[in-house]
Amino acid sequence: MASNTIEASAFPIAWESVDHSLDECIKCNICTMYCPVSAVTDLFAGPKYSGPQADRFRASDQPHSPDHGVDYCSGCRVCNDVCPTGVKIAEINARARAQIVQDRGMPLRNRLLGRNELMGKAGQYTPRIANFALHNPLSRVLAEKLVGIARKAPLPRWSLTGSFGQWMQRTRTRRLRSDKKVVYFHGCATMYYEPFIGKAAVAVLEHNGFEVIVPPQNCCGLPMLSNGEFKAAAGYHRSNVARLAGFARAGLPVVGTSTSCTLTLKEEAPELLDMHDAGSTALKQGTWDIFEFLADLDARGELRTDFRTLPLNLPYHAPCQQRAHRVGKPALQILSQVPGITLHESHARCCGIAGTYGYKVEKYQIGMDVGEELFQFVREHAAGTEFTACDTETCRWQLEHATGIASRHPIEILAAAYGLYNLETRELT
Amino acid sequence: MLDLLVIGAGLSGLTTALAAAEAGLTVRIVAKGLGALHWSAGTIDVLGYLPGAPFAVEEPFAAIAQLPERHPYRILGAERVAASLRRFQTLIAQAGLDYTGAPDLARNQLLPSAVGAMRPIFLAPAAQQHGDTQASAPMLIVGVAGLRDFYPELVAENLAKQGIHARAAFVPWESVADQRDRNNMQLAIGLDDPAQRRKLAQALKGLMRPGERIGMPAILGMADHAAVMAELEAATGATLFEVPTLPPSVPGARLHAALRNALRARAVRLESNMEAIGFGVDEGPQGAHVAWVETATSARPLRHQARAYVLATGGVLGGGFTSDPTGRFWERIFDLPLTVPQDRRAWFRPAFLDTAGQPVFHGGVAVDDHLQPLDGAGSRVFANLWAVGGALADADPIMERSMEGIAIATGMVAAAHVAASLRTRAATVAAA
Repeated sequence: MASNTIEASAFPIAWESVDHSLDECIKCNICTMYCPVSAVTDLFAGPKYSGPQADRFRASDQPHSPDHGVDYCSGCRVCNDVCPTGVKIAEINARARAQIVQDRGMPLRNRLLGRNELMGKAGQYTPRIANFALHNPLSRVLAEKLVGIARKAPLPRWSLTGSFGQWMQRTRTRRLRSDKKVVYFHGCATMYYEPFIGKAAVAVLEHNGFEVIVPPQNCCGLPMLSNGEFKAAAGYHRSNVARLAGFARAGLPVVGTSTSCTLTLKEEAPELLDMHDAGSTALKQGTWDIFEFLADLDARGELRTDFRTLPLNLPYHAPCQQRAHRVGKPALQILSQVPGITLHESHARCCGIAGTYGYKVEKYQIGMDVGEELFQFVREHAAGTEFTACDTETCRWQLEHATGIASRHPIEILAAAYGLYNLETRELT
Repeated sequence: MLDLLVIGAGLSGLTTALAAAEAGLTVRIVAKGLGALHWSAGTIDVLGYLPGAPFAVEEPFAAIAQLPERHPYRILGAERVAASLRRFQTLIAQAGLDYTGAPDLARNQLLPSAVGAMRPIFLAPAAQQHGDTQASAPMLIVGVAGLRDFYPELVAENLAKQGIHARAAFVPWESVADQRDRNNMQLAIGLDDPAQRRKLAQALKGLMRPGERIGMPAILGMADHAAVMAELEAATGATLFEVPTLPPSVPGARLHAALRNALRARAVRLESNMEAIGFGVDEGPQGAHVAWVETATSARPLRHQARAYVLATGGVLGGGFTSDPTGRFWERIFDLPLTVPQDRRAWFRPAFLDTAGQPVFHGGVAVDDHLQPLDGAGSRVFANLWAVGGALADADPIMERSMEGIAIATGMVAAAHVAASLRTRAATVAAA
């Protein structure tokens, strides 16, 4: 056979897909060198073993995964970040976990942690009661003993001033109307726990002349994806596509402040769930993390730079989900233009909480040990530091829990730099 | 706008970026992953073997004249290759890693490999220096019981077969780690802890015979490597050296970390997980220019604009080239023509270990005397694109044992060409 007459199209394998990317693994072990989880525990054998290696022994018709240790993968994606051949290790692990869940079901605890939106809704009308019920020492002990949620892990508190949605509703007559429009994806944490993040984002976007539209939307589904509950996550994603893809098709950017939510809309959900329909693709291509969006404005000379001096010593950690966007660190690029801010860039791999991972009683200490290099970095810059900055909510909670220093989303810092926001009280000025 | 975008984070990309930053340029590196240095023994090989010659090269710079005419070393000339390596030695020392060579800095040394072969090496980390096989002191090669990537008996037996006094012994796992499942890098980081290295020193003491030098797998410390070496030598009273392991390779990772830190100190960003997937072209009066390079993100391509671009993505090993089952072989980003045979029946000679090397590894991107890629007709493809390292044609870095030397020399020289070209352009603009 004359080998050079074979057409490449005779090999229709999608080499970029999750399943086939494992064939790109050359066993070099760079991933294991940098894996922050296997560095602190023997319970996780490392990305190469649990990912591309073990995956050769997993088949969809095979009832048991060869490696339960894959459940100890935190999904931080440091492995993907360093892999020289493009193996989608974290995604391989996520699918393996989903297969285990499919075979053996999942604990109630993981079901609860996956239902961030439901929890948020449940507590929003009686936030004081909900906060007391969740945060008193007795219930934390019970939650640990009965359900397996680590008693020390930094759970959020429901907003006492109403949800972000209620605020948008209340202030609708005061909101900017403009030809330039963006859609805002708030995510569950902003909706129910931290409405001030959404307020800061709206203030910054309006300051730059954008009308902010907040259509009905769901949880992005990430907590379910990372707990292996793919079917329910697919339901959420379908619903978000139905509600948001039309805006994306009409050319309106869908901008989010929760960098893990925007990552899920763009990539995690379509890739892990194999949802490559036209709507999912339109939403993927139309979604922006907020600083990615602002940096794009900046590159075109359209970002307002009427900053006040903001005297801050600011350690900044770009969380794993932000780095997984592969857009660099646009928050640094923007905040470095604010007079008065001294930025310190973290090169730590992960804060350890990794979404819902650090809330699990058997993983809490692993998460704290993983985060130690970040906490160490913050402690080195603690003198004169009022706040740290980080784009993901759970990472900020973990940072505050471990270092005792308040943490802010970079959008809050930017809103303050425009003179629109009080960093101390977290209120619009 | 950036002055220079470097694509690739292996030794050639990091060296180019560092030399360009030293020349005052603003530089960014984008790379698919963290780079092939992590697979390397951390040594700087310049020229170990000439094609078809059965014996190792003794004087690498003197041997350059015997390489093929368009070999990257011939393009640069022996003098510039030697100067680049001396400059690299200084830069890496400033970054905190000592690299040493033969006293005259003209000859190769023969240091033991992970299988006990003698590797012709030009510069080695100071920690590997005392493994010099030409020195007479007998060697005690010490492994760690349970470590998968280092086999001391294999090293010692093969050294002994070559007439070198060497024997093997083991220290227990507990002397290097408390946890079970550790790789080389994790062990090295563990030994940064003084308590852990005291345990290792204690275990080593029981094994030594007078007059022996101790060879250990290259796991002796990461950030505190020099201190770990000094302390173990003081505690045991013996001369110590590291032997490179199978990957993951700690000496390679140390070199990567030192270069990365030097780049950070010069405000050069290294963006990994940013795979270059496309580019744009401007047709100017001086011919075609690369206008931008795009990298993949979670949604849409991200555009990087720079005045100059350096391709440092490597060859077959580094991932800069790819092929399809028809035998077509191409450079991934700019689709530059390659001198690799485009018929896969011509890729290999019948003998796998043919001393002349294999045609598929000898081919690559053909460049002019300024290291700028050429098209099939011998003209520059883009006025602002340079190529360095493993991507270059007419060299077989693995067979020649020239990988690091080519990476460093072409990286340094390309950075100088880029800087000169940008100065000329700026002067032309100013004059206009």
